[in-house]
Amino acid sequence: MSTFLIIVTYLIFPGGLFVVAGGLVYEYADRKLVARFQNRVGPRWFQPLADFVKLLVKEEIVPAGVNAGLFVWLPVAALAAALAAALYVPMAGLRPSWSFNGDLIATVYLLMMMTLCIGVAGANTSDRFSLVGAVRALTQLFAYEAPFLLALLGPAILAGSWRISEINGYAQGHLWMIVTQPLGFLVALVGLMGKLELPPFDAPEAETEIVSGALTEYSGRGLAFFRLGRDIELFIGLTLISAFYLGGLANPLQFLVKTLVLLLVTAGLQSLFARLRIDQTVGLWWRIGALLALVQLLILVILKTSGVPL
Amino acid sequence: MAVQIPLRKLIDRAALWSRINSPWLVHFNSGSCNGCDIEILATLTPRYDVERFGIKLWGSPRHADVLVCTGPVTRQARDRLIRVYEQMPAPKFVIVVGSCGTTGGVFQGCYNVLGGINEVIPVDVFVPGCPPRPESIIDGVVQLLTKLKNSAAPPKGPARNQEKSA
Amino acid sequence: MSLVTSMESISELAKSWDTHAVSPAENRYDIVVTRGNLLTIVAELLRTRWGFLTAITARDVSTASGSAPGKEGEIPADRHFEIYYHFCRGPAVLTLRLSLPHEKPSVPSICGILPSASIQERELAETFGIEVEGLPKAGRLFLSDDWPAGLYPLRKDTTPQSIRDFTAVAPPPPATVENDATPGKFTVPIGPQHPALKEPAHFELNVDGEIVTGVSLRLGYVHRGIEKAAEGRPWVQNLYLMERVCGICSHIHSMAYALGVETVAGIAAPPRAQAIRVLIAEMERIHSHLLWLGVAAHEAGFDTLFMYTWRDRETIMDLLEQVTGNRVNYSVNLLGGVKYDVDPSRADAIRRGLDRLEPRINHYLGIVTTDESFLRRTRGIGVFSTDQADFLGVVGPTLRASNVHRDVRVDAPYSAYRDFPVTPVYDDACDLAARVTVRVKELQESCRLVRAVLDALPPGDRAVDFPRRVPEGEAIIRVEAPRGELFYYVRSAGGISPDRVKIRTPSLANWAYVMSVAVGHKLADIPMIVVGIDPCFSCNDRTFLIRQGDRKGILGWDDLRRYAMQRYGRRAE
Repeated sequence: MSTFLIIVTYLIFPGGLFVVAGGLVYEYADRKLVARFQNRVGPRWFQPLADFVKLLVKEEIVPAGVNAGLFVWLPVAALAAALAAALYVPMAGLRPSWSFNGDLIATVYLLMMMTLCIGVAGANTSDRFSLVGAVRALTQLFAYEAPFLLALLGPAILAGSWRISEINGYAQGHLWMIVTQPLGFLVALVGLMGKLELPPFDAPEAETEIVSGALTEYSGRGLAFFRLGRDIELFIGLTLISAFYLGGLANPLQFLVKTLVLLLVTAGLQSLFARLRIDQTVGLWWRIGALLALVQLLILVILKTSGVPL
Repeated sequence: MAVQIPLRKLIDRAALWSRINSPWLVHFNSGSCNGCDIEILATLTPRYDVERFGIKLWGSPRHADVLVCTGPVTRQARDRLIRVYEQMPAPKFVIVVGSCGTTGGVFQGCYNVLGGINEVIPVDVFVPGCPPRPESIIDGVVQLLTKLKNSAAPPKGPARNQEKSA
Repeated sequence: MSLVTSMESISELAKSWDTHAVSPAENRYDIVVTRGNLLTIVAELLRTRWGFLTAITARDVSTASGSAPGKEGEIPADRHFEIYYHFCRGPAVLTLRLSLPHEKPSVPSICGILPSASIQERELAETFGIEVEGLPKAGRLFLSDDWPAGLYPLRKDTTPQSIRDFTAVAPPPPATVENDATPGKFTVPIGPQHPALKEPAHFELNVDGEIVTGVSLRLGYVHRGIEKAAEGRPWVQNLYLMERVCGICSHIHSMAYALGVETVAGIAAPPRAQAIRVLIAEMERIHSHLLWLGVAAHEAGFDTLFMYTWRDRETIMDLLEQVTGNRVNYSVNLLGGVKYDVDPSRADAIRRGLDRLEPRINHYLGIVTTDESFLRRTRGIGVFSTDQADFLGVVGPTLRASNVHRDVRVDAPYSAYRDFPVTPVYDDACDLAARVTVRVKELQESCRLVRAVLDALPPGDRAVDFPRRVPEGEAIIRVEAPRGELFYYVRSAGGISPDRVKIRTPSLANWAYVMSVAVGHKLADIPMIVVGIDPCFSCNDRTFLIRQGDRKGILGWDDLRRYAMQRYGRRAE
């Protein structure tokens, strides 16, 4: 690959600009859908962009008593991890830019960086709401991460590969895995919501208890990066789940339709429930989420070893 | 140099555009009777839905651009009002909702009330009424944005805040 | 409990205490107590569960000078303080009257017997400077931290001038940043600026992980000074001041005040006015409870329900606006009647609005009683036993959800509630879910009441003439505000303004509930528990305002009167 192409890959497509734009568009779609579910009109199409630009040009306050280096660089790290993850998933239904055996694990790790950074950022400030928010964010991380990974493991076992592109290819040629592994799909989708701290799993940033959780003290650029990073994760997460469970992503049209349908479902789930307390979240994941994913895996392994075609 | 000036202008225009299209609010009640507060909340709800204009109500002053104040300033709330204002990142604006916040209203002259909000912090827009209707509150925000659009002067507020840790 | 048995039991009790009871009104008994036997009597009343403590009123009395402050530096010989402990049982009100000397007044604290009395006793100490012996020492609850010590706003000799003198001597201390450096304790502050509170109060929660181990409360951020202000303003002006005690339940405040003043003056509003008052009060209850339901849903992170309830609340806001011209602060009441009439076309509009609203309310009842995710945040949270609720004098839906059968509209019907009986709503689950259910069911009941009033609106005048001066006398008014029993004590010294207006708001009575159940709950439950009483801080804090006729640009009463006479006199020419 020529240097020029590599630069394009990193900065414009499918990394960089494309993912940023995608993240903003999907944030808009998510907010609009939730607003419509709540009987409101909702934001205008350029709203996330306006929010992002405004935060960029706003003053960034570094509170007293924090490690300024960490405070400034954590949002950057979170955003960078999210952008890097975009390179391994079949963005827009095209072949991922990079692929190696085990890139699924790398991607899941990169997606986790976001929550870690938020947790550390919260712990870095001396603000009480941030501290409680950080503790909750990390608690939630330990709660959903294992079931989420288990849920992604199912398709990987079926495809017999750790490569996202190969799993995507396998999914295109077989029955949709949402049919063969409904439990895994459910856990993965809800896991994504937990990862993104969307309602009802928004205890780490429960407004009425701890203001904005770990991000309470962030203003300006830091907040903009964290928000953008989260949008990108939403974008990537939806891509990943539709590639695995909704029959793979063969072309941009499929990509658009499948991810938007998933977004519709998550938006519906967001507006249907009251917020779970953090203890309820943990309970839900370990008692139900992990169990479901394990049962799914067990069934899968048994079927696969006994030679039932899937 | 010749290239830098248009770029600077472009950034300024983008900044102004984004500011006008994304006013985030934080609400502080410094002694109000609640009437204004429930009308502010009502602007979030389906009939008025201010998210249409990009207006969002946040809990943390750090996230907000506009401080929406209600009520006269009581002795006890004064320091808090100043602290909340100082915690906001520049550029920041203040909208006062209701007659009490404008002048002290019926509570004018009271020993525990220091008067209107502008006795304590600088105010950009006053929305009179007891309480103002949600439409007037939205109009107040629009007035602020119009003012912002038309003013050539740079937004006020200290360039760098004196940090007041919470 | 009928009135007769209640009254009989009082006179029996009074005999056993070696005092005698006088009955100033049909439903009232007064007993004069002394510092010596106060505690015994209070303990006896509470032990036998005769009733509950509604309010503690204090007065700065000097008969010689009436409502006006005495001459500079001159203390009338008969000047003293009076403290009234109001106990209620059904329709009956028993007042224990205690007289204290003006020099170094002090009373024994009853919070050893009744912990919930401490909030009211602190109010007493802060605003009157009456020492309450045995009250746990704590920071200020109502007055600001920089308020000069030794100055008591509700004393009659506290004037704008004396406040200025005091403040000049003791300038406000510099702003302090709270420091919760208590070792080994992690304190989460909530308020005064916090998204869970649309109004300011300050809680400090000590937490161990997510579990709350201690709560402390600081009020006073909305302390404006309405009780003192009322003493400086004419009877009619106070109507509008009382409305602004609270913007959510504004009508019920001005209604209670109007009823109080009418009782003192011995003038009753015509039946049509009374019915319209009840009509607006019930419509206000609908608006207030819907608002509350939305806020409760928001606290639980259920924003969809918040949006939907507030959308439907706009229906009732429109109706209120159609009838009164205002969405909030309706100013319906006049002394001696009401300002607005409800003609058949408006009545039809209200009926149509209710037709739309009632199915929605039924739908919400379904949601709050069946939605699993919402119930997980409310069921079994903040359990408050019937016995505790009854004893601590908690009021309103908070109380009725603990299955205590007490509702002023039923026990002591006021205004037109005699003609339009209320079916009260109780629940025996005693938890937060019950509080939600009770309020939603009360919505249904209020809708029914509004229809009943509209169907049988008595004919006649809207209002009767009311004199500018009100003869000497006192009245105790209890009404059922959306948040619970609201208590007004109105006293006239025969002048153009009240001698004393005491307001005990429902939220104040309900703090006892929050403070006693919060510990042991999860941090996430605290906003839910606080919202469970539907707190109204502006009600709590009220204010004491001093009219300053000499302030530049502000017209005093006399100026205004002169101005009005000139203006209308000229026009008449």
